[in-house]
Amino acid sequence: MVAVQYYLLLSGAIFCIGLFGILTRRNALFFLMSVELMLNAANINLVAFSFQYGNLTGQVFSLFITALAAAEVAVGIGIILVLYRNFGDVDVTKATTLRW
Amino acid sequence: MVISASLVTWFSGPTLQTAPPIGDWVALTPVLLLGLTALILFVIDSIDPDDASNTPALAGTAAVGTVLALGAAVVLLAAGIGQGQGGALRLYGGQLIVDGMALFFTVIFTSVATLVIVASYDYLADRVYQAEYYMLILLAATGMTLMAAAGSLATVFISLELASLPSYALVAFLKDNRGSVEAGLKYFLIGALSSAIFAYGISLVYGATGRLGLDAIAQQLSGGTQLVGILGVGVLMVAGGFAFKTASVPFHFWAPAAYEGAPAPVSAFLSSASKAAGFVVAFRVFAVAFSPDAVAASVDWTLAFWLLAAVTMTIGNFAAATQDKVKRMLAYSSVGHAGYVLIGLAALNAGQNGLVLGASMIHLLVYGFMNTGAFLFVALAEHWEIGRTFEDYNGLGTQAPIACVAMSVFMFSLAGLPVGGGFMSKYFILVGAVGTGHFVLAALLLINSALSLYYYSRVVRSLWFEDPADSLSIDGYPVGLYAAVIGAAVITFLLLPGIFLASDVATSAASALFA
Repeated sequence: MVAVQYYLLLSGAIFCIGLFGILTRRNALFFLMSVELMLNAANINLVAFSFQYGNLTGQVFSLFITALAAAEVAVGIGIILVLYRNFGDVDVTKATTLRW
Repeated sequence: MVISASLVTWFSGPTLQTAPPIGDWVALTPVLLLGLTALILFVIDSIDPDDASNTPALAGTAAVGTVLALGAAVVLLAAGIGQGQGGALRLYGGQLIVDGMALFFTVIFTSVATLVIVASYDYLADRVYQAEYYMLILLAATGMTLMAAAGSLATVFISLELASLPSYALVAFLKDNRGSVEAGLKYFLIGALSSAIFAYGISLVYGATGRLGLDAIAQQLSGGTQLVGILGVGVLMVAGGFAFKTASVPFHFWAPAAYEGAPAPVSAFLSSASKAAGFVVAFRVFAVAFSPDAVAASVDWTLAFWLLAAVTMTIGNFAAATQDKVKRMLAYSSVGHAGYVLIGLAALNAGQNGLVLGASMIHLLVYGFMNTGAFLFVALAEHWEIGRTFEDYNGLGTQAPIACVAMSVFMFSLAGLPVGGGFMSKYFILVGAVGTGHFVLAALLLINSALSLYYYSRVVRSLWFEDPADSLSIDGYPVGLYAAVIGAAVITFLLLPGIFLASDVATSAASALFA
């Protein structure tokens, strides 16, 4: 059995890769993929700890997170599509009608 | 087991001696009504999607649904469901908790949703996809009412997403308007990022305790945990998720863009109801699951919220003072108000928990009306197409005096002058801050309120004292928008004398969390 610390390391690494992607990529689709990585890092934790504690709560919750991630992508792709139609690009830094 | 035990304790009242499953349904009536109305709208629209003449039916159905949900919440609150001696009503193994706090916030959400839907009828005239619009508002309201009742981190996350996903689509609702699309994109990007951080935080809390239920986590933590570091990081990440939903620093960047670009009724809905929803979950999670004593070894989150409150209200108010567009000023002012409400969380564990948390709840109630009203007045201005800056509002008082009186009430009430409930609710927060020894926060609250008077009164000056531009002309007085604005103004005003009615409910609901 692999000790739970290694799962935590793995999930931490994946979370950081996702965060790095969000901070550096300007393409909205890469942004979505990075968010998926971060959510799946949470899933790894949930499943690993669920195994560790011997209860199913975490595993069931990770299924919910997977489903919600899919729903989020569906809405996100829709917004990116109208972004492309209005600005002719999926670069998140191109949309600057409103000041930040 | 938990359900049946709590039901035996709870359904002892003469009117509620029903079978347990029915009891669950009764307690969740507001949520079910909102969700059901959304589905009914879907059916109405699918009968003849291209028929523009069913618009009144759609708006009417949506409004009736939210009014019924509001009525149900008020009845449940008045009947004392989930309040009093027996404690909260725990449904489905504690996944949902119906108590005074949940019902109090349900009243806020359904009131705001009603005002927004009534106002949207005129705002959306001649636009397509109206059924989808009302449906998304109702689904988001369903998510918010579930957030108020969430009893475990799993239901917190799911209901938060149910409230967020329709909101992203609502902000980007004007598909051909670059501002709206850009606002939707920014709101979505930061929302997706913060929900990922939130989910990771939940997974770490689960790692430290092995539980997701709020009560179970509290129970587990009372015995101490070995994994103090993991728990601390997890708690802070969960706090980050709430900071996004409530538009607090450091996740407030989306708020000005989203509120400015979104259709004004949607801005009203998000800045009032969505913010309140973020706060009710934060109150419940931090007060019940992560009580300051239990997580003291890991992280002192009252200090974190102290910092967030101080920075949020200062940044929000200073940024609002430098704006030249009214809607953007309101957006930053809503960040500032999030800072005031955060004082309730920062001042926990000083022995007066019920009082300070109750003060924050009352402020959110009053804010729900005065801020919604202010954004709906902006919606009215957008409907007349008179422009977005302070100067564009010059002399509007000569053209539309009634709406401008209402707007003046909102502005002065938001600033904390005694023309509306905002005065009393801010006073309660101040008393709470002073009573728990947070003098710096109390001083910041006063300084920021004084500053906010400057930019709020700029609006009032434009409306009444500046000469109108020659081109200023308004076409018609839209009934729905007027009704919503005036209704919000009347309630804001009535909350000045009526605040004590609400404050008793709020304080006892907040105290019950710590019982």
